[in-house]
Amino acid sequence: MFPSWPIRFHHHTPVVGSSKSGGGGGGGEESTDSGSAANTLSTTVPESPVSTKPSSSDHHHLQPPQMDGAGGFSQSHQTAGRQTPEKTLRRLAQNREAARKSRLRKKAYVQQLESSRIRLTQLEQDLHRARSQGIFLGGGGVAGGSISSGGAIFDMEYARWLDEDLRHMSELRTAVQAHLTDGDLRVIVDAYISHYDEIFRLKGVAAKSDVFHLITGMWATPAERCFLWMGGFRPSDLIKMLISQLDPLTEQQIMGIYGLQQTSQQAEDALSQGLEQLQQSLIDTIANGSINDSMHHMAVALGKLANLEGFVRQADNLRQQTLHQLRRILTVRQAARCFLVIGEYYGRLRALSSLWASRPREALQMADDNSCQTTTDLHMVQSSQNQFSNF
Amino acid sequence: MHFCYYGTESAAVWWNDSYTIPAAKHSVSLTDDHPLERIQKMASANAVVIFSISTCCMCHAVKRLFSGMGVSPTVHEIDQDPTRQADLETALLRLLGGGSSPVPAVFIGGKLVGSMDSVMASHISGTLVPLLKQAGALWL
Repeated sequence: MFPSWPIRFHHHTPVVGSSKSGGGGGGGEESTDSGSAANTLSTTVPESPVSTKPSSSDHHHLQPPQMDGAGGFSQSHQTAGRQTPEKTLRRLAQNREAARKSRLRKKAYVQQLESSRIRLTQLEQDLHRARSQGIFLGGGGVAGGSISSGGAIFDMEYARWLDEDLRHMSELRTAVQAHLTDGDLRVIVDAYISHYDEIFRLKGVAAKSDVFHLITGMWATPAERCFLWMGGFRPSDLIKMLISQLDPLTEQQIMGIYGLQQTSQQAEDALSQGLEQLQQSLIDTIANGSINDSMHHMAVALGKLANLEGFVRQADNLRQQTLHQLRRILTVRQAARCFLVIGEYYGRLRALSSLWASRPREALQMADDNSCQTTTDLHMVQSSQNQFSNF
Repeated sequence: MHFCYYGTESAAVWWNDSYTIPAAKHSVSLTDDHPLERIQKMASANAVVIFSISTCCMCHAVKRLFSGMGVSPTVHEIDQDPTRQADLETALLRLLGGGSSPVPAVFIGGKLVGSMDSVMASHISGTLVPLLKQAGALWL
């Protein structure tokens, strides 16, 4: 792609007696018929009629000093006789030249990567859009790392739901600060509950078309995925978090909240054990499939996999019931503040994911200097990543 | 025969407090062998009755939920008698008001509570424990 020889060597393609040069071979002729674009650089100095094979020490005498930017072509090499310093100087110059070429190549490559990346994300967006519109054509899941149409649709709806969530949160915040009447506040609080009901409904639809997308948490941010339980948040974790954050509660409310923590924990354990049994059953089916009977075993395994949808549905049902029960236990004002806490909490978790993704990694950025610096930088990155993994 | 339940509306067409069977009118003759009759009999026999299929994982989950609460339910694995399984499944599905699966189907004190979602909703809302105590399945 890039000439590995310094450009000046193009001047020395053989012209003496060469049939390539067409009429008249012979000396004094510029090697313009080599066709190299580099020859445009050498317009001034005619070649001497000597052997054009580049000799070791003195060919660069003939070299027109037109190379710029390399910073090395001083005129001092015209003094004859001192081969060693000339050799050294030539070597240094060649090194500088090679380094410069290398930098230019790297720069071009990086630019190519950047533009390819932009093109790729644009293509992916187009593909998602096309797939989601194509769902009525019976678009099913695509194998491998690509997203299915059901998953893509859910991601879009979830993104819309997140925007809605921000709107609800600001409405709640304003309402709490404005000291509205209980009646007015109730409307806003109930609207927030319906907002959550909506995402559970959407997840139910998504579970039918792509339960794996939900259960692996690909729709959620990495930090949320870390705490994922059966395709969503763990209700008892939410209650535990809220216990420390809620307003002073009455005795009865405290009993209610702790009761809710206990019942949600029990329900979670039951569902987890059911899912474990499903997984074990699936493992047995897959492991015991014989070659003769493989299609049958695959069919059985598929049937078992279908039960995953039921578990994700029940888990979402549990989440929904937990939120409704919270609403019942708390007063309107307490519920408003409670939902603000919940929204704030998940907002922070999502922000944490973004911060993590964009955390400073200047060591990985290509420096404009010598490429050998990159190796040391990679070592630095590896050691700092080890620090994070111990976290 | 008096079979009340605690669940969906479509089953209410079949069973309510004042339901009596005019002998000639109804096309369905509820003999002892009728699946609905059998279900009712089994459901009334114990405080907590679960209709299950031995390979069903959601049934396993509901059983774990009750045992986690210290309740020992009576479990009927309807796949143990394959000749009657289909009838029972149809009947249970109808009682549950449609839905994706006839099992698990949970009865407490002879009354239908429903499937896993109903049981969990009842537990979260705090109504399950009083129901269990009332049926004698749980003591303080």
